[in-house]
Amino acid sequence: MSKKPRQNKNVKHLLMDNSVPLMFIVICAICIPLSGFSPSYLINEIVTRLGRNLFLVLCLLFPIMAGMGLNFAMTLGAMAGEIGLILASDWQIWGIPGIILAMILSIPISIFLGYICGTLMNMARGREMITSYIINYFINGIYLLVVLYMMGPIIPIMHSSIKLPRGYGIRNTTSLLNMRQRLDDLLAVNVGGVKIPVLTFLIIGALCLFIVWFRRTKLGQDMRAVGQDMEVAREAGIKVERTRIISIILSTVFAGFGMVIYLQNMGNMATYTSHSQIGMFCIAALLVGGAAVDRASIGNAFLGVILFHLMFIVAPSAGAKITGDSMIGEYFRVFVSYGVITVALVMYEMKKRSVKSRTGQLLAQAQREEAAGK
Amino acid sequence: MGNTNRLSDGKGRIGSMVQSFGLPRLIIAGFLLLLFILAPFAGVDLFMQITNVLNRFSWNAVMVLAMVPMIHAGCGPNFGLPLGVVSGLLGATLSIELGFTGAMSFVMAILISTPFALLFGGGYGWLLNKIKGGEMMIATYVGFSAASFMCMMWLLLPYSSPTMVWGLSGQGLRTTISLEGFYNRVLSDFLQIRIGQLVIPTGALLFFALLAVLVWAFLHTKTGTAMTAVGSNPAFAKAAGINIDRTRTLSVIMSTWLAAVGILVYEQGFGFIQLYTAPLFLALPAVSAVLIGGASVNKATITNVVIGTFLFQGILTMTPTVMNAMIHMDMADVIRTVVSNGMILYALTRKMEGSR
Amino acid sequence: MSKTRSWIFRIAAVALLVAIAGAMMVIGRGHTVYFDNYSLEYNGQTYETPYKITVIVKDEQIAKLYDKERGMSTWIGQSFEMDLEVMQEKGGSEETVHIQLDLPYSIDGIILNLPAVLAGLPEEAYLTEFVPAAPEPEPEDENPEGLGEDDLGLDGFDM
Repeated sequence: MSKKPRQNKNVKHLLMDNSVPLMFIVICAICIPLSGFSPSYLINEIVTRLGRNLFLVLCLLFPIMAGMGLNFAMTLGAMAGEIGLILASDWQIWGIPGIILAMILSIPISIFLGYICGTLMNMARGREMITSYIINYFINGIYLLVVLYMMGPIIPIMHSSIKLPRGYGIRNTTSLLNMRQRLDDLLAVNVGGVKIPVLTFLIIGALCLFIVWFRRTKLGQDMRAVGQDMEVAREAGIKVERTRIISIILSTVFAGFGMVIYLQNMGNMATYTSHSQIGMFCIAALLVGGAAVDRASIGNAFLGVILFHLMFIVAPSAGAKITGDSMIGEYFRVFVSYGVITVALVMYEMKKRSVKSRTGQLLAQAQREEAAGK
Repeated sequence: MGNTNRLSDGKGRIGSMVQSFGLPRLIIAGFLLLLFILAPFAGVDLFMQITNVLNRFSWNAVMVLAMVPMIHAGCGPNFGLPLGVVSGLLGATLSIELGFTGAMSFVMAILISTPFALLFGGGYGWLLNKIKGGEMMIATYVGFSAASFMCMMWLLLPYSSPTMVWGLSGQGLRTTISLEGFYNRVLSDFLQIRIGQLVIPTGALLFFALLAVLVWAFLHTKTGTAMTAVGSNPAFAKAAGINIDRTRTLSVIMSTWLAAVGILVYEQGFGFIQLYTAPLFLALPAVSAVLIGGASVNKATITNVVIGTFLFQGILTMTPTVMNAMIHMDMADVIRTVVSNGMILYALTRKMEGSR
Repeated sequence: MSKTRSWIFRIAAVALLVAIAGAMMVIGRGHTVYFDNYSLEYNGQTYETPYKITVIVKDEQIAKLYDKERGMSTWIGQSFEMDLEVMQEKGGSEETVHIQLDLPYSIDGIILNLPAVLAGLPEEAYLTEFVPAAPEPEPEDENPEGLGEDDLGLDGFDM
């Protein structure tokens, strides 16, 4: 075989592998001039959104490591974080202590939900993603039950200001005014008009370090082995089920922290809806960064949040400029989020099939050779 | 995984009956029965409730029927229902745009949506053949993508009928379009039977029955049995010389068309066309309805559809009224979400018989 | 790792988290503090209001209070500190007083009577609880799952 075609193939491969980020760079390049936003505004927005979303996106890496695909059930962690925030704001714990308290309160809930989710996903092996997707709706029903009906009569809520007028259940919006951006403002640095939330970035950095360190631990190695091939890992003496559950629990717990960080930046919490779209947007962002269902890195998350949110910011006004209707851009970004996930899922399944058929061919060939040898 | 270990072989006949019917189904059926029994005590008009349940059954049953062909061919439940719904909506809006009114607009809506359903269904089937084994998740997102793509199209396509576009700008379809003067209740009022409070939407029920019989008959033709074979035992089907990919594509096209007709039937009962984000989340209720009726991820019959739609819609209509009357708490949302998604989860986590 | 060791590890981790949570609950308790420049009678003695009090909390000027005026600030924790710039007569000189007092944990809204604080009276004299007026019912909350307010109302799940 000559060298040239292979090199060609490599370039093609590189383009194929990064087709989604490249496409997004093109979309953004077209939309940014059309939208008419100033660069400093865009940079400011991007920095804010990095601080707000990156932690949440990173928590998707654990299940991917364990070969369980995109964790649509990361919303469970988000719900746990919201319950933590509701309680902390009812107990009138403000500022950074309130944020820390909400995170700690979310941990047991996250672990519990993550355990249930992991167990169910073990029962639905090979269909983890659709299962996690349905679990997210199922637990949302339970969340409604807890927050809308049990908070008040069963879980004591002291302040009527966060309760519905009827006496039980939490209001549509929970004000987090006293925690608003406290994390971001501490140690914040202002560089040329752009506020950089240093502490938030330090926390995200800590999670990145944790992920890097975790990959090297025994458990992390096990997780990757399980992700590669469950049966081989089982024969190697790895407790496959347990490892998978742990990866989901880790993802859920960090999603809870991520949601607290996200909401303290927003300063306001839509009690019943703020978690519902989080999963989809985080997954779309990760995929935009060039991740695949079975392969994702911290770099993907970083690039993905930047590109995806750049698109998110500029699409509505660019759409309005082109068609004269601002809703077009809104629909466009939703369509793009769904489309990216669809494309990533299709590519993953097709790759899985081609690998399977290739191993099948290899096996057949080996058998034939063996037969010929005899 | 070759060996299937049967955990519970003989627990007596009742046990096996419970198992074949499924415990969750039994609980749901019992719950509905309880609601019916409690209704008179709670001061709820039972006949009106039954009328409601029948009505909602007639609106939704066709969309649930759209699950059957795909499940039969082993493509899993039609999580991509919005795709079919979108073609139905195209048919509905074009029929009105072209100036049809009354019952004719309904017939034309079905006729116009058919080529779209064939086209979309064909592409969708082709895609699902490429990714065998991962149908459910991808179907979900194909449906989402199609529906959100159409969100843009509803704004951009050059519709001009004044009943449908925004009055102010004169372009872009409205979010809800009233069907008054078009096919509002065209099936439900046909041969309607009134017995006091009880109103039976005979026409809509007959229409569903017609489609159900057609699907049933189709499944007993040669192509239909081939479809069942592809779903239950692909290896055998291949050996028998059945073109698996073609059969699967056919099933997907059928499901998509049924979904298109299903949304039209729903609209004639509901009285409005709902566009934009409305089709996005139609799939899950339909999926859970067929599963509640006793279907599994790779096996479904017409009976499952009838029982499932009745149970699901029964719970949906009965819980708010009865619960409200009994304890002054409207927990219908919670019960609906937990029951429908719980049912899908149950079906997903069960060990599969046969393939995969 | 041996089983007992890992259990000790876990219990220690849980204990640590509980301890941090407890600490957060103490140091993070937020209070709304109201400052009243009202004259009051205590033990038969009348404490008159100064002409003007400027309240400074954390180097930030909160309010300039003349007679019968009220200011508001928030404070996290129980050890409350403020600076008061007191002007006894109109046009007179200002005198800065640094005040440190403990806030009761259980009360959300606290009213401090500044003349009493300045006179160094005990807590029961200067501190009263702020009871908010009954919140007016808001009709918008009638539909608790209101779906309209999120991005696109995408999460409706209805048949």
